[in-house]
Amino acid sequence: MQLVLSWPVRLIVVVLLVFSLFVDGAGYVYRIANHYPLTGNVPGLPPNFGSWQLYIHRGLDLAGGTHIDYQLTNFPAGQSRADVQQRTIQVINKRVNALNVSEPEIRGAGSNYDRITVDLAGVTADQAQKTIGAVSKLVYTKWVADAKVTNGPEPGYKPAFTGLTGDDIQSAAAQIDQSGLNWVVNISFTQHGGNVFDTLTRDNVAACPGDPNTTATANCPLRHLTIWLDLTQKDIDNWEDPAYVGKISQPYDTACLSAQTPNTLCGKFLTDPITLQEISGGNATISGNFTQASAQDLALGINSGSLPVDLQVLDVTQVGSTLGAESVKLSLAAGLLGLSIVVIFMVIYYRVPGLLASIALLFYAAAVLAIFKVVPVTLTLAGITGFILSVGMAVDANVLIFERFKEEVRAGRTIAAAVDAAVRRAWPAIRDSNSSTLITCIILGFVGPPQVKGFAITLGIGVMASLVSSIVVTHNLLAIVMTGSSFRRPVLMGVDRARPV
Amino acid sequence: MPDLSDVSATEQTADIVPEVKPKEEPVPEPRPEPKVRRLNIIGRRNVFFAVSLLIIIPGIISMVSRGFLLGIDFAGGTEFTVTFAGNPSVAQVESAVAAENINGSVIQTGGSGYIIRALPLTPAQQKVVEDDLTRRVGPMTVQQVLEVGGTIAGETIEFALLAVVLASVAILFLLAIRFRNVPGGWRAGFQFGGSALAALLHDVFLLTGIFSIMGKVLGWRIGEIDSLFVTAVLTVVGFSVHDTIVVFDRVRENLRVSQRLSFEQVVNLSIMQTAARSVITSFTVVLVLAAILIAGGATLKGFALALLIGIVSGTYSSIFNAAPLLVVWRRLQPLR
Repeated sequence: MQLVLSWPVRLIVVVLLVFSLFVDGAGYVYRIANHYPLTGNVPGLPPNFGSWQLYIHRGLDLAGGTHIDYQLTNFPAGQSRADVQQRTIQVINKRVNALNVSEPEIRGAGSNYDRITVDLAGVTADQAQKTIGAVSKLVYTKWVADAKVTNGPEPGYKPAFTGLTGDDIQSAAAQIDQSGLNWVVNISFTQHGGNVFDTLTRDNVAACPGDPNTTATANCPLRHLTIWLDLTQKDIDNWEDPAYVGKISQPYDTACLSAQTPNTLCGKFLTDPITLQEISGGNATISGNFTQASAQDLALGINSGSLPVDLQVLDVTQVGSTLGAESVKLSLAAGLLGLSIVVIFMVIYYRVPGLLASIALLFYAAAVLAIFKVVPVTLTLAGITGFILSVGMAVDANVLIFERFKEEVRAGRTIAAAVDAAVRRAWPAIRDSNSSTLITCIILGFVGPPQVKGFAITLGIGVMASLVSSIVVTHNLLAIVMTGSSFRRPVLMGVDRARPV
Repeated sequence: MPDLSDVSATEQTADIVPEVKPKEEPVPEPRPEPKVRRLNIIGRRNVFFAVSLLIIIPGIISMVSRGFLLGIDFAGGTEFTVTFAGNPSVAQVESAVAAENINGSVIQTGGSGYIIRALPLTPAQQKVVEDDLTRRVGPMTVQQVLEVGGTIAGETIEFALLAVVLASVAILFLLAIRFRNVPGGWRAGFQFGGSALAALLHDVFLLTGIFSIMGKVLGWRIGEIDSLFVTAVLTVVGFSVHDTIVVFDRVRENLRVSQRLSFEQVVNLSIMQTAARSVITSFTVVLVLAAILIAGGATLKGFALALLIGIVSGTYSSIFNAAPLLVVWRRLQPLR
């Protein structure tokens, strides 16, 4: 225990305290450094220190937002499920980015890589599901003759896959065309996509030679490269059914597509342009009757790529932001109230040691808050409860020491010797009881449901900080105060009777 | 032969601690020599066991026969938390929900705030329900929509059970390791661990039993079981072991220091020495919980109540069950 009382340890505690206070008050440090007023809205918050952004990360139940669990189905055969899950997460990430959510959380889960959990702050469930579930796989087809086809964009012909899809596109952007009147979507292909596109357009032109603008024969369907959204083999197989084709050939309907079941038929047709000339270089333009909004939607859809699997919603939680703010207020109030009650009780019951323990408790609260900001730990309602409870644990270590202290004094030790003996003898109980709590936290952190995990993390951090607070901080404060003889009076130390020092 | 005579003395435990002076309790600390107020807890252990069983058995009967009132995250379904702008009567809201045919139930949370539970609904169906309610009852704010599918609900229960079982096993082994250095070695370590585990299960069953009674027998909504309740149970597990370890640690220390006392005397002395600390710590935690119960939001009330019951039970079990059980175990399986 001598080590605990050494100056290097005290120095570390002071450094930790200063650092914690800096982190806790980062917002105020920033305001003062930049001569902003201390209250009200100022630009640049939460502050960045280097690449460090310091603020309390609030979970959905506090910030408001939407939580969705997805089940992945229809895994493509022959690919590693882990990879497929990772790719799906990337696609969802890109799509979600368009919503401008701060810190979207998209995590893989499930025993067999078959789950994805999405947390989006400040977004309604409706918005979230539309954005994530949007089906935007571009499919390029060419036309092959089929006399039985009577309906669709090109009667007498049915589409055939060309192998070119949205996956071969590097990026897409919605722009105004050269005339300045129409919205178009400019796309640039990947290396492979550009090569395929080059070959396709060359074959197109070769299939119907001549200038399509002047010769009627040149304007043949074989020279068209048609673009669909999410066209499937099943659709092509049904191409001879006029009613079916009639539905599919309607302009694409994203609302219908994002909510489709195997039996609904949605419009999937995008555009059926004629190929004017061979296009090499890997860039192309999609024109059609776009509005600004529809061009931007399409560009977004292409950019985010297509989902390699089907998503099925398992559960959705939507929390309004008012409810979240209310919860924050209530739990803060409960925490402060609890803390003050504990401080008052400790001071009345244990006098000077109680006061010192309360100071250590404030150190503890400052340190834990700083850890939450730095790690960062996302705080949820359950997490805050874990934190409040760890205050109880922090007090317990102090109570153990002080009760032991009283015993040692009654046993006839001097006050100074009793402090030392009390800390030393209370330590095994403190160590064992806290390690059992830590083990419980670790288990909960690994196997618990998400809500329980948040609780386990904050409780675990709290327990560790409380150990430092009670063993190192309280003990040091006690040792320092003991050097002043006037503090050693039994009345101040909260003991009924002791031998004079 | 001393072991045998110990065993046969089971019925005379009241005499083991000679200076039983219950009347002395309110008197200030005897001075100046160290004296701890001595209640004979070990001797009256059967009374304390009986008190525990009296509470636990009805709880277990209720759990087995009636089960639990399940919250949305265990039962699955859709839950809307809404506030109506007007001040509709409960009957109005109920009839509007009944008209939706979604097997809905209505709970008033205070004023014009309501919780509406229904079958699992798709987002489109949720929208329809919200629109219909606005049309029938008047403008409302949707504060929260929870949608839990059956798969997730099942998994949450599995995870929770797994967590409790794993935590229990881990605690048993942790204690066995930490207490193997008392006389008797590993076997003694497992006696300590096992007694702590029994006290822990006492608290878990007491808490879940009381909630089963509150939720199903009395029909109180505060007795609802959800993942926060599971969190509460696990916290209680932590606290209970915390308390028990403090007592056992003192037993370990006293076994070393006071060689002349019998095991029963050592345990009783240790309980007395640590009782003040156990009560004070629990009392501070109870204060914090009472603060949450009074000032906290509606969502936290059931949680705070569960913790309150659990912590009181945890303190009781560590003093009146865990240590006496250790003595009983020692008698059945004498060591050294």
